[in-house]
Amino acid sequence: MTHTDNPAISTRWGPATSPVSAVTAGIGEVLVSARGLQKSFGDRPILKNIDFDMLAGDITVIIGKSGSGKSTLLRTLAGLTDPDAGRIVFDGKVVFDEQKRTQDWSDVEANVGMVFQSYTLWPHMDVLANLTLAPRKRLKMSAAEARERAEVALAEVGMGSHLRSRPAQLSGGERQRVAIARALMMGPKLLLCDEITSALDPPVAAEVLEVLRRLKQEEGIAVALVTHDMAFASKAADRVVFFHDGEITVNATPDDAFNHCDDPNLQKFVDSVRF
Amino acid sequence: MLHSYDFDWNVITDNIPRLAQGLLTTVELAVIVIALSMVLAVPVAFARMSKIEVLRWVAQAYIEVFRCTPLLVQLFWIYYALPTLTGVTIPGFASAVIALTANLTAFMAEAYRSGFQAVPIEQIEAAQMLRLTRLQRTIYIILPQALRQQLPVILSLNISLFKDTALVSTIAVADLMFVSNTIATQTYRSLEVLTFAAVIYFVVAFPVSMITSRIERNMMTAGQAATVPRRRLRRLTPQTPVGGAV
Repeated sequence: MTHTDNPAISTRWGPATSPVSAVTAGIGEVLVSARGLQKSFGDRPILKNIDFDMLAGDITVIIGKSGSGKSTLLRTLAGLTDPDAGRIVFDGKVVFDEQKRTQDWSDVEANVGMVFQSYTLWPHMDVLANLTLAPRKRLKMSAAEARERAEVALAEVGMGSHLRSRPAQLSGGERQRVAIARALMMGPKLLLCDEITSALDPPVAAEVLEVLRRLKQEEGIAVALVTHDMAFASKAADRVVFFHDGEITVNATPDDAFNHCDDPNLQKFVDSVRF
Repeated sequence: MLHSYDFDWNVITDNIPRLAQGLLTTVELAVIVIALSMVLAVPVAFARMSKIEVLRWVAQAYIEVFRCTPLLVQLFWIYYALPTLTGVTIPGFASAVIALTANLTAFMAEAYRSGFQAVPIEQIEAAQMLRLTRLQRTIYIILPQALRQQLPVILSLNISLFKDTALVSTIAVADLMFVSNTIATQTYRSLEVLTFAAVIYFVVAFPVSMITSRIERNMMTAGQAATVPRRRLRRLTPQTPVGGAV
């Protein structure tokens, strides 16, 4: 099944215009597969032989203590940090293979968006310019077409009335919603979200996470989210991945992870987050 | 104790065309040098931050040589010494442009570098994730923010450069200082002529200095408030409630 056969993954954003962009994985099929990923910073190993699969259209919540390797995993999947060893396959194509010295991130670049922990809107541009710059420069959209798409994207995240606002005029939650809209402009099939709610008040964080849940349901966009929000993880996630000391020690459904898992580190972590 | 002195300002009015021509040369020189330096400083700043060690060293060596030697020596070296080395005589105006540009570029490159490094890496990575090319990231994300942040420094450097153009009179470039000096020598009216020259330099440089101070004050205020003033906010977004803004 291709993404064009499957209405759930054929999004209103449409595919990016790059020839490498056509994602063939249908909902429930493997979109990203990582094997034996390793990464060290100096002498300190951050990722220790990570095996990780992500399905198209799934929300995968990644949890774990600070420094356990969650963000590094997202950055390696995004192509921002090169692994020291291992292999990453995106939609059936090898994008990184350390043994074969293969590295071609074009499919990842065309299909993966990322939203960061800190507010990364460009402060010298208004919201409209933040959203339309990349589509105009990279997808060669006209100004009118890009604006139309921006209006749809902003409406999707509940920011339709802020087209001409500057980032400094927005609250933290609003900025993160605009950052999500900006990532959507490039038509991603996978959205990587690195602790995007960590600086937000719980109600605001809940609003932002609700946006992600809607994107998955309505647009079929897969989301990999690093968060400490256990309520969201248990309600909206398809998979919960627990990182401990550079290793994935739990990779299960929320029900299995939170109710039937006897991993002491996970239980300790969940207790510490709850209280 | 001051000597009694009879001012004769006719020496100025009689020589207005010559002084105006000198001022024109000064302004022309300053504009050419500033324009060249603002462009050339960009690659130098990037070379200074390059991961390629040789490139970084070359850029650093260039910057340090021009920052740590007097401008007058640089000017003389290019005008008098370089022709000895190369056998090519460089006219005074061209020598002045080369020396002043090389000097200002060194300082400007450091200002740019500081501005580039102040742009948060996450903003650049966000641009990378949106598939903007390295050049697009530089043009649309890094440069505008770096220039804006370093604007007071850049304007100060430009004011200094404008004043430093007076040094080119030593290699017979007919700038305002050279013309003033010539008239003073011919008329024995140094006080009037050089005072007038000083006033002209001040009149050109002072407004830029005021603008620089204003920008600095605005940036400090913006930094303290971390937001746009409410009145301006209302003007910018008349339909947007302001209460929730950070």
